Amino acid sequence: MNALALTTEFAVRELRARFSGSFAGILWTIFQPALQLATFAFIFTQVFHARIPGSDAPGYLSFLAVALWPWNAFADAILNATKAIQDNAALIGKVALPRTILVLARVCASFVIHMLGFVVIVCVLSFYDAHVRLLTGMLPALLLYVPLFALALGISLAFAALQVFVRDLIQLLGQSLPLLMYCAPVFFDRSIVPAGIQPWLSLNPFTFYAEAFHALVLGHGTLALTSLLWALLVAAVALLAGYGLFRRLDRHFEDFL
Amino acid sequence: MSDVLVQAQGLGKSYPKAFRSSDRARALWRLLFTGRDADSVPVLGDVSLEVRRGESLGLIGANGAGKSTLLKLITGVLTPTTGTVAVHGEIGALLELGAGFHPEHTGRENVVMSAALHGLTGAELRAKLPQIIEFADIGRYIDEPVKHYSSGMVVRLGFAVVAVLKPDLLITDEVLAVGDEAFQKKCIAWMQDYLDGGGTLILVSHSMYHIQKLCRHACWLRDGRVEMSGDVFDVTQAYLAFQERKTAASAAIDHASAHDTEFSVLDVAINGRAGELPVGIDDGEALRVRARLRSRDGRVPAVVVGIVRADGTPVYGVSSDMDGFVPARTADGDFACEVIFERHGLLPGSYSIRVHPMDPEGVRVFDTMDRIVTVRGNSRELGMVRLPHRWLAGGETAP
Repeated sequence: MNALALTTEFAVRELRARFSGSFAGILWTIFQPALQLATFAFIFTQVFHARIPGSDAPGYLSFLAVALWPWNAFADAILNATKAIQDNAALIGKVALPRTILVLARVCASFVIHMLGFVVIVCVLSFYDAHVRLLTGMLPALLLYVPLFALALGISLAFAALQVFVRDLIQLLGQSLPLLMYCAPVFFDRSIVPAGIQPWLSLNPFTFYAEAFHALVLGHGTLALTSLLWALLVAAVALLAGYGLFRRLDRHFEDFL
Repeated sequence: MSDVLVQAQGLGKSYPKAFRSSDRARALWRLLFTGRDADSVPVLGDVSLEVRRGESLGLIGANGAGKSTLLKLITGVLTPTTGTVAVHGEIGALLELGAGFHPEHTGRENVVMSAALHGLTGAELRAKLPQIIEFADIGRYIDEPVKHYSSGMVVRLGFAVVAVLKPDLLITDEVLAVGDEAFQKKCIAWMQDYLDGGGTLILVSHSMYHIQKLCRHACWLRDGRVEMSGDVFDVTQAYLAFQERKTAASAAIDHASAHDTEFSVLDVAINGRAGELPVGIDDGEALRVRARLRSRDGRVPAVVVGIVRADGTPVYGVSSDMDGFVPARTADGDFACEVIFERHGLLPGSYSIRVHPMDPEGVRVFDTMDRIVTVRGNSRELGMVRLPHRWLAGGETAP
């Protein structure tokens, strides 16, 4: 069986299922996060008067957008892929297929949508904000999606397997993912956090990505080699561990679905 | 000589008890950390079978006997709890209804997905798609979501996919039951073609007609175990007889519980075969019933031997005292006798041989013992027994 073709087939099906029946269809991939961005932008710039510290700081809108889209890819992938096995119970009960594909396809679908959105929004922002660098910033930043994808896939594999047994997981995840977002420097710069808390932010797996996207696309802050290596290591470990857990439980899925 | 496609050895499956969420959490804990399996309910035990290329196997049994579970184990959808199953070659499976179709997607999209699951993509798929749609023959519904389909249409589409893809091994679970007459005929014709062309089939059906028509071997599952397997006619007849007896037994249960034990039947051997298994005899072969009886007070019992259809319809009955025969005393104080029906005239089918002891006066009937006899053959005569007869041309008169 051609796993790649099958994954593509499932991912396309997933994308089609998400937007079939809605008028705007695929445009929602841009609308939905754009609305989200507009809401956050209103609250933080108009209500809280948030500013990014520093004399040569980028605009708050660009700062927020550049990390928000990767976050959406990450969170959306985990949230959707966690239910991948449960949702495909009917298929799993009738056809023998490698189940990892079901999880992989959902992660792929989420990343395709939000990477597309990321490219569009960064291009749009580049007209308004001189800090936004397209060729020297956005293109290398796209490479950051590779470890982010691996991290999301690893977590998704583990959660999708656990979700089969413990159905509360998805509820818990819906609550805790936003918490993870607020605890990463997506809305704020690390420098405005009290000094005693600052180092703790690094424990959040998304902190690295938020800061790396800020550094590459907006030239805000620096991307340290050691933190990049750490992030790659974490992503690789997450992927291996997630895959290991999935394979361990894989053979028992059908009994509990 | 011919290669083995499916080889199952001591196959068993237990489903975990997972009704409450705490059960599921406990099962997860065990699977992850202790390596032991969860508390479970066995549904299939110690099934061994072998299917060679070109063979056709029918699986029969009551609901819940484990047929679908066995198929799922063979296709790899389920993991066996015990034993192993090895499959060589590509399987096309239609398990229950739907074949894994997604209700929200159109028939065409589902066909593409099914084909992709069978490893078919790109140009190959584009070449086969029209054939699949033509075989399914569901008209404009092909572009409607599957949730709007009737169950017959779902089966048509599912069958069309496997029919065009022609897998090495076709596994179908009760698919013929839902299609209409025309489609059933089409499917059966296709399956016969497929078998003639060297295809291998495992068929689950409650229709003995379909099983006998398509399969050369059959396997009867009862409560998760193989009750009998072998030639399709032997197995289906034994199964049908069992079903008929079950119906008859539930009707006669009060009657049976009130039996006396003054005289009892120890065992009955049919054509030299003791035990409880059904006995097969060939049409025309003599039927010999040998019984051993016990008398509590040493009086010599009379013996009644009756032949009934599996559903209880009497065919013939005779007792030793009618014929003035007295059973002989054996060395250990019991009694034995044998009755031989040289030309029994029973038509092919399943019969029950009943032996009862009677008091010496031939008035009261005691104990009962039943043995199943299957008369093999392929006579086209109708009814239960062959009556001696001859034909005369019109105008002749009998001498």
